[in-house]
Amino acid sequence: MYSRLPLFLLFLSFTACTDLELEPPDRLNPATVFSQEENYEALVARLYAGLAVTGQAGPTGASDIASLDEGFSNYIRVLYKLQELPTEEAVIAWGDVGLPELIFQSWTSDNQFVRAMYYRIFFQVSLANEFLRETTSERLDSRGIREGFRPTVNRQRAEARFLRALSYWHGIDMFGDIIFFTEADEIGGTPPGVRSRAEVFQFLVEELAAIEADLPEAGTAEYGRADRGALYMLQAKLFQNAEVYTGTARHTEATTALESLFDSEAYALAENYRDLFGADNDQFDELIFTVNFDGDRTQSFGGLTFLTHAPVGGAMDPADYGINGGWFGLRTSPEFVALFPDVTGDADERAIFFTEGQSLEVNNISEFTQGYAVPKFTNITSSGVAGSDPGFADTDFPLFRLADAYLMYAESVLRGGGGSRERALELVNELRQRAYNGTGGNITEEELTLDFILDERARELYWECHRRTDRIRFGAFSTEGTWAWKGGVQEGRTTSAIYNLFPIPSSELLSNPNLTQNEGY
Amino acid sequence: MDIRLTLQWLFSLLLLCGSLSLAAQTSVSGTLTDQETGDPLIGASILAVGTSTGTVTDFDGTYTLQVPEGVEQLRFSYTGYATVTEDIGGRTTIDLALTAGELLEEVVVVGYGAVKKDDLTGSVNTIQEETFNQGAIVSPTNLIAGKVAGVNISTGDGNPGEGPTVRIRGGTSINASNNPLYVVDGVPLAEGGVAGSRNILNFLNPDDIASMTVLKDASAAAIYGSRGANGVILITTKKGQSGAPSISYRGEATISSVIDRNQALDADAFRDVVTFAAPDRLGTLGNANTNWFDQLTRTAYGTQHNLSVSGGGETNTYRLSAGYQSLEGVIRGAETERISLNLNLTQNLFDDKLTIAASIKGANENNLYDPGVIGASLAFDPTQPVLDPQNVTFAGYNEYGVSLAPRNPISATEQIESTGRSYRGLGNLDLGYDFDDLIPGLSYKAIVGFDVSSGQQDYFEPSTYATVATNTYDGLIRITNATRTSKLFDTYFTYEREFGTQRASLQLGYSYQDFNFEQPVLEGRDLETDAFGTANPGVAEDIRSFNTVVPNRLISFFGRLNYNIDERYLITASLRRDGSSRFGESNRYGLFPSAAIAWRILQEDFAAGLGNTFSDLKLRFGYGVTGNQEIGDFRYLPTYQFGDQRVQYQFGDRFVSTVRPNAYDEALKWEETTSLNLGVDFGFFNNRLSGILEFYEKTTDDLLFTVNVPAGTNLSDRVLTNIGSLENRGVELTLTGIVYDTEDFGLDLTGNVSYNQGEITQLDGSGSADIQVGGIEGAVGNTAQILRVGEAPFSFYLYEHLTGPDGRPLRDGVDHNDDGEINNLDIYADTNGDGVLNDQDLRVIEQRAPDMLFGLTANGYYRNFTFGFTFRGTAGNYVYNNAASNGGYLGRVDLGANYVTNLHPSAVYTRFERPQYFSDYYLENGSFLRLDNVSLGYDFGGLANDAFTLRLYATAQNLFILTNYSGNDPEGETGIDNAPFPRARIFTVGARIGL
Repeated sequence: MYSRLPLFLLFLSFTACTDLELEPPDRLNPATVFSQEENYEALVARLYAGLAVTGQAGPTGASDIASLDEGFSNYIRVLYKLQELPTEEAVIAWGDVGLPELIFQSWTSDNQFVRAMYYRIFFQVSLANEFLRETTSERLDSRGIREGFRPTVNRQRAEARFLRALSYWHGIDMFGDIIFFTEADEIGGTPPGVRSRAEVFQFLVEELAAIEADLPEAGTAEYGRADRGALYMLQAKLFQNAEVYTGTARHTEATTALESLFDSEAYALAENYRDLFGADNDQFDELIFTVNFDGDRTQSFGGLTFLTHAPVGGAMDPADYGINGGWFGLRTSPEFVALFPDVTGDADERAIFFTEGQSLEVNNISEFTQGYAVPKFTNITSSGVAGSDPGFADTDFPLFRLADAYLMYAESVLRGGGGSRERALELVNELRQRAYNGTGGNITEEELTLDFILDERARELYWECHRRTDRIRFGAFSTEGTWAWKGGVQEGRTTSAIYNLFPIPSSELLSNPNLTQNEGY
Repeated sequence: MDIRLTLQWLFSLLLLCGSLSLAAQTSVSGTLTDQETGDPLIGASILAVGTSTGTVTDFDGTYTLQVPEGVEQLRFSYTGYATVTEDIGGRTTIDLALTAGELLEEVVVVGYGAVKKDDLTGSVNTIQEETFNQGAIVSPTNLIAGKVAGVNISTGDGNPGEGPTVRIRGGTSINASNNPLYVVDGVPLAEGGVAGSRNILNFLNPDDIASMTVLKDASAAAIYGSRGANGVILITTKKGQSGAPSISYRGEATISSVIDRNQALDADAFRDVVTFAAPDRLGTLGNANTNWFDQLTRTAYGTQHNLSVSGGGETNTYRLSAGYQSLEGVIRGAETERISLNLNLTQNLFDDKLTIAASIKGANENNLYDPGVIGASLAFDPTQPVLDPQNVTFAGYNEYGVSLAPRNPISATEQIESTGRSYRGLGNLDLGYDFDDLIPGLSYKAIVGFDVSSGQQDYFEPSTYATVATNTYDGLIRITNATRTSKLFDTYFTYEREFGTQRASLQLGYSYQDFNFEQPVLEGRDLETDAFGTANPGVAEDIRSFNTVVPNRLISFFGRLNYNIDERYLITASLRRDGSSRFGESNRYGLFPSAAIAWRILQEDFAAGLGNTFSDLKLRFGYGVTGNQEIGDFRYLPTYQFGDQRVQYQFGDRFVSTVRPNAYDEALKWEETTSLNLGVDFGFFNNRLSGILEFYEKTTDDLLFTVNVPAGTNLSDRVLTNIGSLENRGVELTLTGIVYDTEDFGLDLTGNVSYNQGEITQLDGSGSADIQVGGIEGAVGNTAQILRVGEAPFSFYLYEHLTGPDGRPLRDGVDHNDDGEINNLDIYADTNGDGVLNDQDLRVIEQRAPDMLFGLTANGYYRNFTFGFTFRGTAGNYVYNNAASNGGYLGRVDLGANYVTNLHPSAVYTRFERPQYFSDYYLENGSFLRLDNVSLGYDFGGLANDAFTLRLYATAQNLFILTNYSGNDPEGETGIDNAPFPRARIFTVGARIGL
């Protein structure tokens, strides 16, 4: 009997399992994801959510990018920091590495906020590319997607391309010449090559024209999704800044895009300025394209959670703003306050300042009580009710809104982009009338100048992530213009023109040999 | 195998053991003595051959045995003496003098088998039970802390039951695990524990452990292939001994006290500081004098009881033990408790051809966790009282109720309930079969094992707790369940042959191990009532649930050849091929070879003259490749992950769920560590003085790093990729001396000293990249350490703080350099001299890992007294005092509107206004010498007519530490001290009773 035992044992030893193909039970492989129709919308929703959330668990967890703390690196939060902190519109008290340098216009290629912005932008592009790569008609065929679903996919593809274009715009606006890659570049491939700012600009112009027909008409998409209204705004933004991006002005095309927007008659100014930045701002037709947040269902520590908490501190009662506690961070400079006729908001209601216990001057940026606080964004509805969760705001971020389009139109006309000067004045005064609750603040035709536009854009659009781009377009960002703490000194001083662009993050320069650093860094 | 079946099988085997010892017929008695000295032999075994009946000699060396009918022979055995089998031949008295024969050849377990100590070719150290550390030890690796050269076993903090960090010859990895592989009775354990358990080894009762063997170099560890890169620790539990049942009981009581090193200002000092630094905030101060740290800590108690029964017959042995241990932490709210059972059985069948060994270890661990509020105790205003009866929102605790203000640590301690309980069962069945009849020299072994742990951790914050009341939810429940299972099947053949004076042994085997981890989490927020704790999550308005499921599998083939030429040259070669489900198809299998050669010089003819001086002299050289696969799962695979309910996106009036593709690296493969080891084993004067000297070099290639990948090439900015290399070089010396060895007094001393230096030789492919690591508290994104080519891993990277004439670091806010500006140039060295102080001026200053480790162990006796101690120390390790840098600036008083924050005492000395996170002032030398363990015992011998034996003993742990470090404790792997759970000083008294 024993003589057979070794044979048996030998058999046992070498017939045992050799299967090493395991799949994670709580995740899906690409083939399964794209064979189920409902996942397509979920993927598109994730593209939009890439501007709002920071990972696959809210408010943090399963993070998208890892170069910086999740909440800190939220798309809108870093966009805000890069667009607003280097201008007169905002200062922040915190000592996190690299943050004061944004206020001083003295950032380096190691700045973690610049790095986070860079990776957020290209994360969005990669995500859009992945969707486009997996939804070609061949792929749809191979996954057995029915004909009837194809038009839905077509529109989703156009949305993905729009969102990719939006991030590429942020890319050339902040970094100049950038890496360029599309759905043709596979994951794990060679590092993408670099295209000049003008080349990417040209791509974006053509790309937006190409997807126009596949997007719903202006104002007809569900709230939060891109339609032609959003597309016209993005076109107008590109053309208005074309001189900065390419050296050639394209103001006529900016005017045309804005006129298409107005002609759609899909948008109207909200009655009260403040309501546009409250917890129920999703109901106002003034908003053309938003980044949506929700206290319960779209949570992150960036975006509107940041914009409603960070400006609260000192003697302010968090409950007044629908939040659970201030973060003692954001205030503004005396130069910005001076743009308004008075600080109470009695004359111009857009002057939303909290001054009790706050000094006008900012002797020390780390001191929250120095500089007026700006509770513009709140988690309170137009009827005065707090949002669904005091920890996370319901308020949506107005990336594009009609008032911006009005001021862009006026600027375009003033810069020789055609259009009607009369209409420009009319649109500007519509904004003034809302602000002054009457015609008391109206301006005359002579007063409608480019200098006025630059100031008016601050008054109307402050903290909405336009200021840096605006000031650069007006030549008033680095080498011109001073305000508190610009250049690292309290009285402010001009800086070098190199700061008109952010540096390519050093980590990216090291890993992609195709890149060269922006001049001066 | 089905667990229930295994249990039934084992149970019936146990019954069998019992049934073998039956009626007695005749009585034989006598005395056993030493042949040479005539001294009685105490505790020698006498066994009736062919039965399990046996006894041991008492303290006079005498014995009496009731010999069952039919028994014709008695077997006398005693450790270190030749075993004698005597025919009874009708005698009723048998006196014998045993010869102290050759000491039994010491056998050392190595992976998949054991070898004679003389035959070892690799760097292998075994610590036997006798020299284990004593005292209140929960986690088994603490038993050998300080005992093995090159093995750094340091407990991160003083949490009761907290497992120590174990590093063998420095870390080989940056991103993957640096933990050694633990193998318990042949079963390799999965990395990682379960919720509710504090450490993966805590299921083992230290009292059940017979020995721990450390495989340090790759020539020894390569047999464990992809899991051997950080060394292997083999744990062998106690087995029964043939003979009459022996019962042993050990009981201990412990008392622990906290060692406070004053990390915060007391109330009066704080009042002075506020008066000086922020006089306008004096109104915020209270009238109380509260020492928050004292409020949080306590004198803690613990007990331990262990009971074991062991014995066996001619062909079988058994050992059954039960243990109970409970230990409180010195921080209120922390406690650990363990109930353990351990059963080991062996049975030989078919003329000893078939050997069966079975082992089942089970433990229930219960934990109470403190809420981790030491930081809060250092920050909360000491002039405020603990309670504020008017403040009903916070259940009468004094709280500010402001989101950034410090939280009342006592409120947290008393209101938060955080408990864990876990159950673990590890069982293995070893079958060995000797095929000598069929093919001489061939034998077979199979191990079937299972390891199941299941744990639950419950966390409850009532709605009256401050974080809750000022945060986003009103009461929180979190229930985490975890189940980790592993199934093992190992099988191997061994073939041994002798050719004249040469011996060879060849092993070939296969191993299959399957792991699964599952962790569902239920979280409930916004509680209708606090009445139920975690018992009724249904009262939560907002319920969330998560789950994690991670399977993985390892399939391996291995072989090993041992070759012995004339007892002079010993050659070992091994090869393992590991397949792991953690890697993609192209990198799924890895080959891990090793080779070692040893030369026993004393066996050479020319060395004959050395025999008088040397008792041992062996030269060893080994080479081996090991891997590290502890990198997480499915990172090579393209996967899509669904978002939870909080990352939906609003489309119109709908909220749409999200799906995201995850980043991955298809080409991911193991980290590979190639190591070279040169060792000398030596002994002088009949091993009165013996030692081991070793030199090693380890190179880890394909180091896994989470690195920034070129944007656009993956689905995240940072991806885990094989990039980089790391080297460790070191020297180790162990010396053991028998200082005294007389009848009344004996003293053994073992000292070890080791030197290790790590260096990063490649990073990021580019050779020039820096990766900043070592996040510190205070502000987001701040780091204190760097990974840089040419430097030790985790070197500190800080500014050089300029020192004033008074020897203090220059304070900020003063224009020290008279340039008209107040900036960092006033206080930090402009090391690159460019006139600007920025990140270019940061400098690499020292490293976190010690250059040197020391250990000194003594064991001795004086008559019936026994004593021992263990000193442990390090040199060259630096610690960044984050508690000081985060709390040591005057501006901290005035952080918020309606509260003040307490300071670290260093603020009074430095008078910094603002935090100086990057100042090297906070970097301190963490070298230390700790008296880890002192014990004293008294052996009463046999009492009450030898009815039982008694030993009483006392142990003190962590009696003192010598260090220049100013913070709480210089020990801790990260090198960044954030005021952890303070390590306690523990006194233990105990008794051991034998029957």
